[in-house]
Amino acid sequence: MRRMVSLLAALALVLAACGSGDEAVAGGPLQEIGEGEGAVVIVAWAGYIENGETDSAYDWVTQFEADTGCAVEVKTAGTSDEMVALMTGSDEFDLVTASGDASLRLIAGGTVQEVNTDLIPSWSTVDDRLQSAPWHTVDGKHYGTPYQWGANVLAYNTDVFGNSPPASWSVIFEPTDLPDGATNEGRVQAYDGPIYVADAAVYLKSLRPELGIGDPYQLNEDQYQAALGVLRTQRTLVGRYWHDAFIQIDDFTNEGVAASASWPFQVNILQADGAPIASTIPAEGATGWADTTMMHANAPHPNCAYKWLDWSLNPKVQGDLAAWFGSVPSVPAACEGNDLLGAEGCTTNGFENFDRISFWKTPTEDCNGTAAAGACVPYYRWVTDYLAVIGGR
Amino acid sequence: MTTPEKPTIQRIATALYRRPRLRLALLLGVPLLWMVGVYGGSIASLLVQSFFKLDSFSGTVDRSLTLDTWRDLFTGANMSVAARTIGMAASVTIASVVIAFPLAYYMARYASRRTKAVLVMAVLVPLWSSYLVRVYSWKLILSADGIVSWFFGRLGLSGLLDAILGLPGIGGPSLSVSFLGQFLVFVYIWLPYMVLPIQAALERVPRSFLEASADLGARPATTFRKVAWPLAIPGVAAGSIFTFSLTLGDYIIPTVIGDSSPFIGLAIYSYQGVAGNLPLAAAFAFVPIAVMGLYLVGAKRLGAFEAL
Amino acid sequence: MRTKGWGLKAAALGAILYLHVPIVFVFLYAFTTEEASFRFPPPGLTTRWFAVAWANADIRAALGLSLRVAFVSMIVALILGTLTAGAVWRTKFFGRETLSLFIILPIALPGIITGIALRSAINLVDLPFSFWTIVIGHATFCVAVAYNNVIARLRRTSPSLIEASMDLGARGWQTFRHVLLPQMSSALVTGGMLAFALSFDEIIVTTFTAGNQQTLPIWIFSSLVRPRNRPVTNVVALVVVVLTFVPIALAQRFSRRAEEAT
Repeated sequence: MRRMVSLLAALALVLAACGSGDEAVAGGPLQEIGEGEGAVVIVAWAGYIENGETDSAYDWVTQFEADTGCAVEVKTAGTSDEMVALMTGSDEFDLVTASGDASLRLIAGGTVQEVNTDLIPSWSTVDDRLQSAPWHTVDGKHYGTPYQWGANVLAYNTDVFGNSPPASWSVIFEPTDLPDGATNEGRVQAYDGPIYVADAAVYLKSLRPELGIGDPYQLNEDQYQAALGVLRTQRTLVGRYWHDAFIQIDDFTNEGVAASASWPFQVNILQADGAPIASTIPAEGATGWADTTMMHANAPHPNCAYKWLDWSLNPKVQGDLAAWFGSVPSVPAACEGNDLLGAEGCTTNGFENFDRISFWKTPTEDCNGTAAAGACVPYYRWVTDYLAVIGGR
Repeated sequence: MTTPEKPTIQRIATALYRRPRLRLALLLGVPLLWMVGVYGGSIASLLVQSFFKLDSFSGTVDRSLTLDTWRDLFTGANMSVAARTIGMAASVTIASVVIAFPLAYYMARYASRRTKAVLVMAVLVPLWSSYLVRVYSWKLILSADGIVSWFFGRLGLSGLLDAILGLPGIGGPSLSVSFLGQFLVFVYIWLPYMVLPIQAALERVPRSFLEASADLGARPATTFRKVAWPLAIPGVAAGSIFTFSLTLGDYIIPTVIGDSSPFIGLAIYSYQGVAGNLPLAAAFAFVPIAVMGLYLVGAKRLGAFEAL
Repeated sequence: MRTKGWGLKAAALGAILYLHVPIVFVFLYAFTTEEASFRFPPPGLTTRWFAVAWANADIRAALGLSLRVAFVSMIVALILGTLTAGAVWRTKFFGRETLSLFIILPIALPGIITGIALRSAINLVDLPFSFWTIVIGHATFCVAVAYNNVIARLRRTSPSLIEASMDLGARGWQTFRHVLLPQMSSALVTGGMLAFALSFDEIIVTTFTAGNQQTLPIWIFSSLVRPRNRPVTNVVALVVVVLTFVPIALAQRFSRRAEEAT
């Protein structure tokens, strides 16, 4: 046995030695864009980088490839955590469209590099509200360019709710009878990512002010336990938690789901299909995502990457993408004169809702640097506890 | 037999035939390096990782030896995940045997040569049509407004379906959100892995054995119980290794069908990918390794390794 | 006996239906006019998804990659499996039982274990994820099927056959080529086909051992969650079944012939 232990210890030392060389630090951001390397590899959400293959009207890759000679390769990821895993696990990616719950982790881990905004001519056109957003700006340094943002909306079935949208998230958090007379048990859904704990916190923030919840991503132990309590009640109502957008679309079509936390993406597709689905942001406000295109610290194609960063802020690209994904452009100019998006597109997708949204960010033990270590419940506990809640514990 | 061969090859071959040790070393060198070195080494490094722990402050892995991660593993929540998964794996395995055996028995014992060829193809074809597409197709089959309920409705049996869904424990709002639905999909997906080994085991039983049993006056049930079943056991054990292990580790079916209750595979996947907690994922990985270890010891006793 | 036969027949038929009715629906929805979400019955039928699939370069690339991975994995697995079977057969050596356990292990343990173990090992030695890391993952669990088929065949091969060949003056190489190899060919075909199939449709291990390479299952997995690509996944499943039908049938026939010949 002792031999076994010392063997393991030796192995561990070897492993530790191997691991120390991981974080190669680049020598500051690029100062000048040179010749393109012929390719750029991007980790992105499904539907975020369209080359016209799915629908020829939605193509913001072909033109870029023709203009720059950089062939665009996309690796799609289903969750923020998958993005982090891909980026930290490999040096072959240049860019990632990271949401706020991934971006700070990537910055803290040294996986992404500071970008030189002087090399991005379109930087000045970015929405003021996003230019120095805390999910990509650390110590005054920018770690990427804002891509798109949106809210996690409450989607509901208009056959059930009629034309008066539910006013509160309570329809998916508390046992209640819906306007069609039947109970909500088994007819509502919730998101199965751990970040969903914040949705419960947003709901509690106005339901139980005495808890003193401020930022739903910075929860102390009491607030956190209260949120878990809400989620445990919700478990008794939820038939299935949704993991990917498509399964949820199916469930709205075939399972008689009455209401669920959702993304505008699903709502758009369902409405296009003629399904009786609409969405709203209830009185409590909502969580949301704001995605940033970030650059890998060891990006193999930095010049093409910079070219893409600038291209991604092109108003046409931004507007087309917003129409496709149901999101809001990070360049306000994109809202005007885009055929795919329409005149009211930005308003429909929630341009005015910015202040009502608590954008995803990774919960940390020190409350994102605002308190002493241990004051807030960190993300890895959200993961284990949310898994336990879904498991009925 | 006078095909001309290169003399060097001849000499080498003869030399090898005469020197069993050398032959053994040559034969085994690469497989040993691959299976024990690469694969065994990977599993061992996983074991080592489980003795590290996730630093709660930086979210990075702290590479000093500790038992903390193993303590985190033995929480009620994780153990209930393990129990749920093992329970599902066991029920899926039993159901697979019950469904596969008659088919395998028919193939081995009654089917004409031509029919048998068709049946073997019929069992093999599902292995070639995408696992993912088939899993997703079950969503529509089982959903509340899906194919099963459509047919039940047409046949005027909707009441029966509702009664089944009303059963506590296995029912739910619809088949696709129920334990029962999930169970049906697991059995469906892994069934071919049970049919083929049982059929192969039964093929090896000389027909005369079964005929002798019948000639001696045994009723079919007795022939089955006393002759066919014992001889098929290695095949059943071999098939059950697949159905049990595949159910134990699958993380795609539970996300598509069922009520989202986590399974071991899903838990490992989330701890590794979602939480970045590789030590805990590694420790959790040793739950199925331990379970399968015990299972393999039992299966080996039943002769499963010869029937795989 | 007759009534019992009917019961058995019905049960066998039931199992076959259980395996195939869902595939019928997979095929049906390759023709649906729906783009995003499927309903039953489908509102209309069209063949346009076949044209869409045909024109899609991603599918061709993914299919090509999957075929190459499956082929190389199959070859590696056959070589490793045959070598091991040759060593284990008729030779007793220290650790023989352990070795056969190691061969079975990757297929007896859930794919996620093999995947996560290989991934952490690949990360440790700083190997970039590539075609070859996928092959390493696939070949590892394919060895078992190759080994099992070959060893089962060898066990049924009488040692006296080899002795007879040697007695008749055949050299070792000749014995191998003219006696052993024909004996094993059916096992190699069956094992190879199975290994190829396992690799071709594998998603879990691939998820862990691939970088940004897209095998066909990975393409399908990402396309199941994209509107307008969903019916295309059904088309791909249908086409793969149709294309593989002939080679499997031929291989079956060949191995049955070989089996009967011995």
